[in-house]
Amino acid sequence: MPAPRSLRSLTLAFLLVFFLAVALTGFATYRATQRAIVELVDERIDALSDAVLSQTRPGDVAAIIGRINVITDERDTGNVGFMLTDAGGHWLGGNVRLARPLALGYSTLGRRDRITGLSAGRALVRDAGGGLTLTTIAETEPIDRENKARRRLYMLGFGSIVLIVLAGTALFGALVSRRIGEVRETARAIIDGDMQRRITVDPAGGAFAEQAATFNHMLDRIAELMRQISNVSNDIAHDMRTPLARLRGRLALIAARPDAAGLADEIGEAMDQCDALLAMFAATLRIAEVEGGDRRAGFASLDLGALVGEIGEMMTAVAAESGHELVLGRCAPVRIEGDRQLLSQALINLIENALRYTPPGVTITLAVTRAETGAGAAAEIMVRDNGPGIAPGDRALALRRFGRLEPSRHNAGHGLGLPLVDAVARLHRGTLSLEDAAPGLRVTIRLPIAGG
Amino acid sequence: MNLLLVEDDDGYAATLAEELRALDHAVTVAPDGMTALQAIDREPFDAAILDRMLPHMDGTAILRRLRESGKTLPVVMLSALGRSAEKVEGLEAGADDYVVKPTPAAELEARLKALVRGRQWTSTGGGTGDTICVGDITVSPTRFRAWRGERPLDLVKLELQLLAELARNAGTVLTRAMLIERVWGYDFEPTTNIVDVQIRALRRKLMADGEDDPIVTVRGVGYMLRD
Repeated sequence: MPAPRSLRSLTLAFLLVFFLAVALTGFATYRATQRAIVELVDERIDALSDAVLSQTRPGDVAAIIGRINVITDERDTGNVGFMLTDAGGHWLGGNVRLARPLALGYSTLGRRDRITGLSAGRALVRDAGGGLTLTTIAETEPIDRENKARRRLYMLGFGSIVLIVLAGTALFGALVSRRIGEVRETARAIIDGDMQRRITVDPAGGAFAEQAATFNHMLDRIAELMRQISNVSNDIAHDMRTPLARLRGRLALIAARPDAAGLADEIGEAMDQCDALLAMFAATLRIAEVEGGDRRAGFASLDLGALVGEIGEMMTAVAAESGHELVLGRCAPVRIEGDRQLLSQALINLIENALRYTPPGVTITLAVTRAETGAGAAAEIMVRDNGPGIAPGDRALALRRFGRLEPSRHNAGHGLGLPLVDAVARLHRGTLSLEDAAPGLRVTIRLPIAGG
Repeated sequence: MNLLLVEDDDGYAATLAEELRALDHAVTVAPDGMTALQAIDREPFDAAILDRMLPHMDGTAILRRLRESGKTLPVVMLSALGRSAEKVEGLEAGADDYVVKPTPAAELEARLKALVRGRQWTSTGGGTGDTICVGDITVSPTRFRAWRGERPLDLVKLELQLLAELARNAGTVLTRAMLIERVWGYDFEPTTNIVDVQIRALRRKLMADGEDDPIVTVRGVGYMLRD
């Protein structure tokens, strides 16, 4: 048998071994008391036959029968019987008759011996001298009845032990799974961005409390490291943006000087580059803000179909300016819990991407649908274009921060558009996927509908 | 305008002050909260520009002190981070506007001017109820209607909101960023020119009967409705 690995099979194996032990103990106890009773009865018939034969001369039939009668008249011998037979097996006297000959020594009697009023008993056959044999019989029947009570007692005793162990195992299991569940819930909350979640530590102590404390300690450490990283990005924001702002200001002042009139274009270009860098910082900080998860607190119910419709209408004119056609597909009214600002930004980002990275003449289609998936209902925002698309191998790169595809490197944009959309989708516990629209690119944001 | 700039980064403060002076404003620079509060006690400023992250006393603390002592001068808060939660914090502390560093001087000037002019208007007001009249343009945002002279304008919701915002601030330049914030209600700036496109559409409808263009484009800054 392979060693059980999972907690469940371990528990089952433990219970199996336990049941086996209980059954064996029960059986052994039963057998031991049974043997003790038989020994007691055997001692009694031995004593009784002694009482008959020790007072008489061997072979004296009349004396033996007389003695038998004396003894059977005594008060506590109602459940014993005697039988005297000669060498040929003929009945000579006593108060019972046996249907079959018994060997010398002890034997067990049952119903098949057809002795009136006896269903179970023990017999002792002894040589009474002169070819005579004395058979002494005692009932074990009343003891058998007691057996039933004893069996009941065993069932109750061992049964309650089994029940206690089963209940204990179940309780222990529930306790363990509650603790594990708590760890799982905490881990899930952390994954969702709630870095403040901790496991409650049992003040009574114990292995679980120790583990919970260690786990919490680890989370504190991670949170501390993340704070440091976030401080670094705040520092970058502060310490890099301020000098950039200074630089931009200087350029603006230079541009305003009369002697810089001939350099206006160059200075303008330099200022544009400053702006591009600043936009990159702004986007990085925005992603950090979204990933922090704090904005979940501001989630409100909104109609995604209406939101996409509104933005689509607004962006139609913008698309027309660059020679693109924006088509508003079916925008089903789907209510979700979300951040209107971030969802708007994500959608505008996707449309802007399509406008920026596809040639004029390309059609961009927007749609919102409600999809029933295995994991529950979801709202799907789709932005599809029939442009050149993205090669399958490049899609992962497109989602990576600062990951810009080669032909577009000369284009404006900082490579943070899709990562931001991805972060917004994840904030809503949803996903972002890029697929081949054959031809073109289909971008889908799938957001779960809570309780739907 | 007579402006107070509270900023601890000497270099940035000097550049920004110089830029604002180039736009014909008087600028006093204070490197920290105490200096700023003393300066405001001493001199009547038209508006203050307040950095959020300052040594010792941060921007919101200074602002609270200021408001508690009954000073109502318009304050624009400057932040290097620009998270929406911080923006809400700043506005709750009593800031009139909140911009992310680095704001071009022209943008900052436009916001300050709009704030100062906004203060002057509260007493006079133009038009009855929520209806705004500027020249021959009438906008009623609650009824979703607008007219040029006698001619009703067929505007979509966004165009109407845009016209209303321009009309409320007639004579003041509104930057693209300000319009994005106030008309679209976005806390981010799209990279495409959605403001320009919307202004163009609005202009077409305003000038459909061959009227003159009521919207002034201030190059590199924003738009203004002639008053």
